Amino acid sequence: MTFWTYRRRDNLVGYLFVAPALLGSIAFVLVPLALVGWYSLNEWNVLGGTFEFIGAENYERLLADEKLRDSLVATAWFAGGLVVLNLSLALLLAVLLNQKLRGTTLFRTLFFSPVLVSLVAWTLVWQLMLQPEGSVNGLLGFFGVDGPNWLRGESTAMVSVIVVQVVKNVGLNMVLFLAALQGVPAPLYEAAKLDGAGAWTRFLRITIPLISPTILLTSIITIVGSLQVFAQIAVLTQGGPGTSTTVLIYYLYQQAFQFHHFGYGATISVLLFAIVAVLTLVQWRMRRKWVLHES
Amino acid sequence: MSRLLALICTALLALTACGGSSAQSGPKTLRMTVWTANEAHLKLLTEIATEYKAAHPDVTEIKFDSVPADGYTTTLTTQIAGGNAPDLAWLLEESAPDFVSSGALAPIRGKVEKADELVPSATKLWEKDGELYAYPFSTSPFGLFVNTDLVKELPTTWEQAVAASAGKNLVLPDFKYQNWAVLSTIWRGWGANAWSEDGKSCGFAGQEMKDAMAFVHKAIFTDKAIPGPGTTVDFFAGNAAMAVSQISRAGALKDAKFGWTLLPLPQGPKGDYAVIGQAGVGVLKRSKNADAAADFLGFLTNPTNSAKLAQFFPPARQSLLNADTLAKSNPLLKPEQLQSVVIDGINKGVVKPSHQGQEELNQTIRAALDPLWKPDANVGQVLDGVCAKIKPLLERP
Amino acid sequence: MSRKVWLYGLLCLLCVPFVFPTWWMVTSSMKPIGEIFSVSLLPSDWTFSTYSQVFELQPFGQQYWNSLYIAVVVTIGTMVVAAMAGYAFARIRFPGQNALFVVVLVGLLIPSEVTIVPLFQLFQQLGLTNTHWPLIIVPIFGAPCVLAIFIMRQFFIALPAELEEAARMDGLGRAGIFYRVALPLSRPALGAVAIFTFLHSWNLYLEPIVYLSTPDMFTLPQALTQFVDIYGGPMWNVQLAAATMTAVPILIVFVLAQRQFIEGLAHTGVKG
Repeated sequence: MTFWTYRRRDNLVGYLFVAPALLGSIAFVLVPLALVGWYSLNEWNVLGGTFEFIGAENYERLLADEKLRDSLVATAWFAGGLVVLNLSLALLLAVLLNQKLRGTTLFRTLFFSPVLVSLVAWTLVWQLMLQPEGSVNGLLGFFGVDGPNWLRGESTAMVSVIVVQVVKNVGLNMVLFLAALQGVPAPLYEAAKLDGAGAWTRFLRITIPLISPTILLTSIITIVGSLQVFAQIAVLTQGGPGTSTTVLIYYLYQQAFQFHHFGYGATISVLLFAIVAVLTLVQWRMRRKWVLHES
Repeated sequence: MSRLLALICTALLALTACGGSSAQSGPKTLRMTVWTANEAHLKLLTEIATEYKAAHPDVTEIKFDSVPADGYTTTLTTQIAGGNAPDLAWLLEESAPDFVSSGALAPIRGKVEKADELVPSATKLWEKDGELYAYPFSTSPFGLFVNTDLVKELPTTWEQAVAASAGKNLVLPDFKYQNWAVLSTIWRGWGANAWSEDGKSCGFAGQEMKDAMAFVHKAIFTDKAIPGPGTTVDFFAGNAAMAVSQISRAGALKDAKFGWTLLPLPQGPKGDYAVIGQAGVGVLKRSKNADAAADFLGFLTNPTNSAKLAQFFPPARQSLLNADTLAKSNPLLKPEQLQSVVIDGINKGVVKPSHQGQEELNQTIRAALDPLWKPDANVGQVLDGVCAKIKPLLERP
Repeated sequence: MSRKVWLYGLLCLLCVPFVFPTWWMVTSSMKPIGEIFSVSLLPSDWTFSTYSQVFELQPFGQQYWNSLYIAVVVTIGTMVVAAMAGYAFARIRFPGQNALFVVVLVGLLIPSEVTIVPLFQLFQQLGLTNTHWPLIIVPIFGAPCVLAIFIMRQFFIALPAELEEAARMDGLGRAGIFYRVALPLSRPALGAVAIFTFLHSWNLYLEPIVYLSTPDMFTLPQALTQFVDIYGGPMWNVQLAAATMTAVPILIVFVLAQRQFIEGLAHTGVKG
C-alpha cells in the first residue's frame, strides 16, 4: 500500500484515462504523419512498384513548382474569403437574433439547418442550382438580372464555392457567437447608454472585447477548417475553371491520387501541415494581445 | 528513436511494396475491377465466370467489383498503392500507355486464344516490344446518331451537320467540357493531332488544330449548334438533332420514341476518317493469383465468349468482324450501319489520344482549354497556351 | 415599430440561401426530370417513382443502416474516450500532462487527406479493408476525437472544485469522482460532442471511398454519388430523392430536440 500513495494512484488514473486517446493519436495520427514525411523523401512509382530514396528532390521540386504557386494563391483567396465572410455573417446573424424579437427561435433553426444536411447532398443541390439555367439564375431573372455561368467563370467559381461552404457552416459559428453575446451582462450596455455611447460604439467597445475568446476559438477552427475543404471543390468545380479553385488540398489530391505522384503528394502534405501549424500557433500566441481575459 | 521509427516505416513499406508475390496454392479467388454497374453487363460476366469455375474447381470465386466510372483509374491506382490491387482490371484506353509501360501488367499473349486474328489497329495501344499486356475487349468506334424526326437531310460533312443542327442541338455526350479527348472525333477531320506520333511534340498549336477548334468554337457560340457549357441536352430522350457517340450507346435507343439512324462521322476538310475508343482488360503482375488470373482472362476473351460479349462490347477479333455476326448481337443496328461505322471504323480508325502521364496531361490540358469556352475567346492564343503548358510534360522521358 | 419591420425583413432575406436549397432539394426530388431546371416552387407533376428507384438502384436501405450504426458507434466511443481524456487533462495533475496534451492536439491540425494512404496500408495489412472498422476506429481514437477532447477539457476546467472536494470527503476515489460527479454534470458538453461527432461521421466522404469497394458496404455520402445511369450520366432526380432521405430525418430530429442541441453547442463557448 505504501507504493501506491494517493498521488501515485491519481497519476495512474490520469494516464489510464488519457491512454486511449493518446495511443490512438500516436497510431492514427503521428505514425501516419511520420510515414508521409518519409514518403516525401522518395520517388514512389505506384504502378511499377518501385520506391526509391531521392532525398530532398521533392522539396526542390516544390520550390520550383509554378502550379504550386497558383495553388497557394487560390488557397489564400479561398481561405481569406471564407473566413471573413463566415465570421462576419455569423456575428451579424447572432446580433440580429439577439434582439428582443419574437420568432428568433424559428430563425435560429432555419439558419442552423444547413449544418445538418449531408455535405455531399448540399453540394450536389447547389451544383444543380448554379447551372446556367438553374434556380439561382432563375431567381435573379425575376429581378431582371442576367446571371453568369457561375461555375465556369474563374472568379465566379471561387465566389460560388466560398458561398456554398459558408452558408453550410455559418450556423455553427452563429450559435457560438449567440451564446457568447448572451453572456455579456446587460448592465454594461445600460451604463454605456447612460454615458451617451451610440450603438456602434457599444458594439465596438463592449461587445467585441467581451466575446473575444469566442472570436478567437471560432477563427482558429474556421481558418483550419477552410484549409481542409475538399469535397465541395471536388464536386462543384474539380479545381477549375483553369486552376482557379485548385486550393492546396485539392492540388495534393491531384498529385497524389490522380497523377500517382505519391511521393510529391506527400511533400505537399508536409507543406500543408506546416502552414496549418504555423497559422494556429500564431493565432494562439496572439491571444494574449487580442483576447480580453484568459482563464 | 527516430532511427527505430525509420526502420519500422521501412519495414512496413517493404512489406507492402513487394508483398504478395508468392503464388498461392489451394482454393483461389479472383477479383476484377470493372467500371460498369449495368446489370446486363454484370450478368453476362458472371455467367462466363460460372462456366470457368465449373471447369476449374480450384478457383472458388470470381468477383466483379464495380468501381464508379468517374475516377476509375484513380481508384484503381489507389487500390494498387495501398497494396490492395485486384487480380484483373478493366483499363481505359487513355491510361493504357501508363499501365503498359510501367510493368504493372502481366504479359498475356500466350494465354489469348488465336491472338493473331486480333486487328492490329486495335492491339497497338496494348502492346510493348511485341508482347501483349492487355486484351482490347471493347473497340468502339464513334458514329453520328441522327434524329430523323428533327433532321431531314442526312449530313456527310461537318459543315452540313452543324448547319442542320443550328438551334436543334448537336451533342457530344461524353465531352461535358471536360473530356477534351472526345473532340478528337471532330478535329481528326482537319487532320489535327493532340501530339506527334512519338508523343514528343505538341499538336495543339498547329494550324490544323486551330482551324478545327475555331470551327468547334463557332459551332458552339455563333451557330448555336453545340450546347454551351453547363447546358445538358439528352439526345437519347429525343431532345437533340444529332449526337456524336460510341455505338455501344445504341442500346439506349431501344425504346426511342423518335426515328433515328447511325452514320459514320461526317467528313472534314481532309476527308473521311474514324476515331475509336477502347477498353482493355489486363492482369496485374503483382497479384497473388497472377497465373490463375491470366488463365481466366484467356477464357474470357476466347472467340466464343468474345462473341457473347460482342452484344455490348465490339470485339477486336477479325472472325467476328462481319456485319452478320455483329448484327446478331446488335439487333438495333442495320448491317449497313454496322459495316460502315463499326467494321470500317475499327479497321481504319485511330484511337482517341493517349499518352504516358495521362492523368496529369489530361488535367493540364483541360485547365488550359477552359478559357476557350467563352464567346469571345481567342482560339489561337488559347491553343498556344495549351502547348506552352504541356511541353514539359510531353518531353518527359 | 419600423425597426422591427426592418429586422424581420432582413432576417427573411438572409434566410433564403439557407432554406431554399433544402426546399428545392425536397421538391425537386418529386419533379419529373425535365422540370428540375425550372424555377417552379412546387412540382407541377408530383412524381414519387424516384424514391423507389433509389432503393432499386442501390442497396440504399443497407447503406442507410451502415451510415447510421457507424455514426452511433463512433459517437458513443468518442464520448467515452473524450470524456475520460478531457477530464484527466483538466483535473488530474500528472507529470507530463502538458506535453501529452500537445501530442494529442496535433491531431487537430492534420486533414484526413494527408494521412489516408499510410492508414490505408495499415488496414490493408490487417486485412480490414472493405470493412467498416477503419471508419469506426480511426474517428474514435484519431483526429476527430481531438476536438471533442478539447471541448470536454474546457468544460471540466470550468467545473467548480468544491464539488469534487465534497465527493472526496465522502471517500470517493478519482475514478469514482469522475463517474459519479463530473460526468453526470457534463451532459451539455457531452451533447455538443455527440452532435459534432455524429455529423462528422455521417458526412465522411473520402474515407469510405478509399476503404470500401462493394456497394452494400457503402455509406450514404458515397452512395449519393453513385446514382448514375448505365452511361455514366448522373440521374439528377434520383440523386435528389436520396439526398432528401439523407437529410430530412436529421432535420426532423433537430427540430424536435433543438433546444438541447443548441444549448449543448452554446456550452462549448469559451466564456472569458
